[in-house]
Amino acid sequence: MVNYGGDEVSALAVDIGSSSVRVGYAGDDTPRAVIPSSYGYHQTLPDTDTTMQDPAEAANTFQRKAAKMYLGQFGPSVWREGMQVGNPIQGGLISDFEPVTALIRHAIEDVMRCNATEHPILVTEPAWNTPQNRERMAEIMFEEFQVPAFYIANTGVLNAFAAGKGSALVIDIGQKMASVTPVVDGFVLRKGLAYSALPELVHSNAHSLLKSPTQHRPGIDLFPHQLIAAKSSVEPGAAPIFALREDRVRGTTDSWRAWYEAREVDEWIQSVAGVLEQGWNDHQVSARPPKQYEFPTGYTGWFSGERYIVGEQFFHHSANMAEAWARQMNAPPPKTMPALISDSLRACDPELRQVLAGNVVLTGGGSLFSGFGERLYTELHRSFPHLKIHAPGNPVERRYGAWLGASVLGSLGTFHQLWISQEEWKEHGRAIVGQRCK
Amino acid sequence: MATSAEVRSILDLPAHQPIAGPSQPKKPTASAPRKPEGISRELYSLIGPSSTTLVAQFAKPQLKQKPTFGASAKVKWYRNFLFMALYLMLRREWRSFKNGGRADSLQLNHWTKATSDANSEYQFAKYNVQRPTFTYSDDEYNSLLQEEGWTREETDYLMSLVKDYDTRWYIIHDRYEYPRPEDSPRSLEDLKDRYCGVCRKLIRNRPWTGDDASRQALLAGFNFEKDREVLRKKYITSLENRTPQQIAEEEALYVEIKRLEQNERRFKRERDDLLRTVAGIESGLPDVVEDDAQLAGILADPKRKKRGNELDSPSTPLSAPSFKRTIKSSAQDIQHCITRTEPNGTFNKSHQVAYLRSFKIPYPKAAQAQKVVQAMTELGISSTRLVMPTAANLVHLENVMDAATNLVETKRNVDRVEFEIQVLRGRLGMQTTAPKNEDGEPMELEDADGEAEPEEGRAQSVVSTRSARKQHRRSMSISSVDTSVSARKRQRK
Repeated sequence: MVNYGGDEVSALAVDIGSSSVRVGYAGDDTPRAVIPSSYGYHQTLPDTDTTMQDPAEAANTFQRKAAKMYLGQFGPSVWREGMQVGNPIQGGLISDFEPVTALIRHAIEDVMRCNATEHPILVTEPAWNTPQNRERMAEIMFEEFQVPAFYIANTGVLNAFAAGKGSALVIDIGQKMASVTPVVDGFVLRKGLAYSALPELVHSNAHSLLKSPTQHRPGIDLFPHQLIAAKSSVEPGAAPIFALREDRVRGTTDSWRAWYEAREVDEWIQSVAGVLEQGWNDHQVSARPPKQYEFPTGYTGWFSGERYIVGEQFFHHSANMAEAWARQMNAPPPKTMPALISDSLRACDPELRQVLAGNVVLTGGGSLFSGFGERLYTELHRSFPHLKIHAPGNPVERRYGAWLGASVLGSLGTFHQLWISQEEWKEHGRAIVGQRCK
Repeated sequence: MATSAEVRSILDLPAHQPIAGPSQPKKPTASAPRKPEGISRELYSLIGPSSTTLVAQFAKPQLKQKPTFGASAKVKWYRNFLFMALYLMLRREWRSFKNGGRADSLQLNHWTKATSDANSEYQFAKYNVQRPTFTYSDDEYNSLLQEEGWTREETDYLMSLVKDYDTRWYIIHDRYEYPRPEDSPRSLEDLKDRYCGVCRKLIRNRPWTGDDASRQALLAGFNFEKDREVLRKKYITSLENRTPQQIAEEEALYVEIKRLEQNERRFKRERDDLLRTVAGIESGLPDVVEDDAQLAGILADPKRKKRGNELDSPSTPLSAPSFKRTIKSSAQDIQHCITRTEPNGTFNKSHQVAYLRSFKIPYPKAAQAQKVVQAMTELGISSTRLVMPTAANLVHLENVMDAATNLVETKRNVDRVEFEIQVLRGRLGMQTTAPKNEDGEPMELEDADGEAEPEEGRAQSVVSTRSARKQHRRSMSISSVDTSVSARKRQRK
């Protein structure tokens, strides 16, 4: 181990993303605890909750102190009467620290069964994190978890480390955010950072694709398993025959329904969707074999063209799609991957562009679309002939790239002088975070 | 399978001597220097008597007569011994340590070898190397470092950034957020120029303790030519901003150049061939060599393209000295029986590979090889092995082989002609005796004649040309030295 500069001090690496929170020992190759970032909660205790909640009000009272939270594996995914589902991460940043604290505590104490006061903790942050946010995180760690030492590192840098590179152009596609981060010598070039909510657009596109009827099939109902009492098998493409659990439908909140619908859509995307390697081509789309997918309602469909329309949104928006998004979100449509990458590279020094193009790291669970890496290569190869994309074939490495980098960093012997210790925190206060974690 | 003593030592209990049970007789403790029973002499000499914990173990198996489950006492002893040795060697402890690279008193824990020193310096602290940074006093700044466009505060800010980011200029430029009054952000080159300028001035104007060379080296390290860097960046940008058409054009031009070069080479080869056929190798030799040398330069120097096409160009200095040497030393060569072979014109001098003369032993043509070899073995000559393949011997061998080949050829022709004569005679006789069949046979006969004659003629002509060529080459190889030398002598005269 010494030869590799490793020295494990049983640090914990905590990687908080839009979809899941990953916690594990630094030095391991996979996180020990992976729990969903979403959590279920009751505004008031379920015993007293007899009246239905107004959905609009529920959305507004999101910030109100939840009476009870349901976290982890059996948290939001379990149906409970009147349970709302919330997600503390918005736009890749932590917007609500209370559930985040609960999530981290759940992962460390209930899943990993260890005591936070004994372990230095390394937390990740996206490159566009605000100083207030990281200071708040440090405060939580020192004040609430009483950690001996703490450090906050950038996901872009950590992804580069996980790929074994000091300088890289990290293309990270998560569940909600896609970002392109130029990393040089282990530092983020902030001016070259580019990110957008592109995966959200891809998701909403897939959602509307499934919901809206086409000439071949009706619109698909995205009921979760928990709400279906009975179903019978039908021919592919035929209308589904199923019965809903009326007793549950009444007590289901809108946020839970929305969360589960999003999950159904995500599952459909993950098993069916792909990206055309050589750019959009109607002929090629029709030549690809269709894929079958069965929804919880029992509806079975063959998907051919729709598979690729979904993935294509990463590279090219159709005009009406972008327009619908702009109307709905009251914001310009998110930038496509090629636009993000060229934005990022244009902001970098001309001398660095070729270096970065030769060290592209593709990571994040959203990049696991089949053919995504090849497509990215074709898109970028025109402008960068020396392009080289590092995309780990192992899905675990791809999904938990930032955690893996944190695991590498936290187990390095030379890193241990960078920890912010409890003592330093008490002496310098919040300012030390900005000074130490550059 | 650990014995009680092992357990005791694992638990770090102080008792090294096993406490005798009630059933066991009191054991006489083995004196340290004596080799204990049950361990081979070699092993004992390796361990030595120093390890007391181990010595306590040695006597163990003697006393406890446990039932041996398949394994003999010795084997068990070895097993226990190895276990202990490994345990002692690899034992690790969860130990807290203090990092010398840290300013505070944070104590982290890690697993270390139990045998290592607990108070030793943290092994990774030595990598915490700080780059020497320059600081300056107010006086120094006011007298030396003032520069148009830079305030003291901004310079201080720059120096602190450089210190923070260890002169990683891309990062410094990225994080540079000094509130500038005008709307002109600092470029990377501005920052680097300012920093290097400050450092250079400080080094130059401060008393220097070391020697001058090291000072110059340090100064050279801070050398920065801003204009050149800016120009270089501009070039890089323009290289990147090429349109696909421009890139395609560049590529096309490159291919065109390659093609032209190839054409040039082909022309050269063809001209060489022509020269050799027209002028003969001996006479054309110097010219050919010269041209080669000159043509080789064409690829490197496009300006010389025009001159390269001239046929009889004056001798270049490249070929001249080699001839001089030949003339001067020819007398010596003869004295020492040195035979020099001239490069034969088809290759450049640099292309001539060294070879053993035995590789140049002539071989008979494959078609007649068997017969030729047979003929030669009849003469008592082995064609494949020459004891001394000197130039003269090779020539002799080639002569003999040619003669044998000719002989075989002639023999074959004679045989055929004789056979044909026989056949024709036979047919003539048949025709005179039985003139009945007029349908097919005369036709056949004519055909045979028509075929036979030109073939023969062709064969003969081939043989003749071949022999002529061989003759030619042979004469050259024999007399190459003499002729070339004499020819040159004549030229000089």
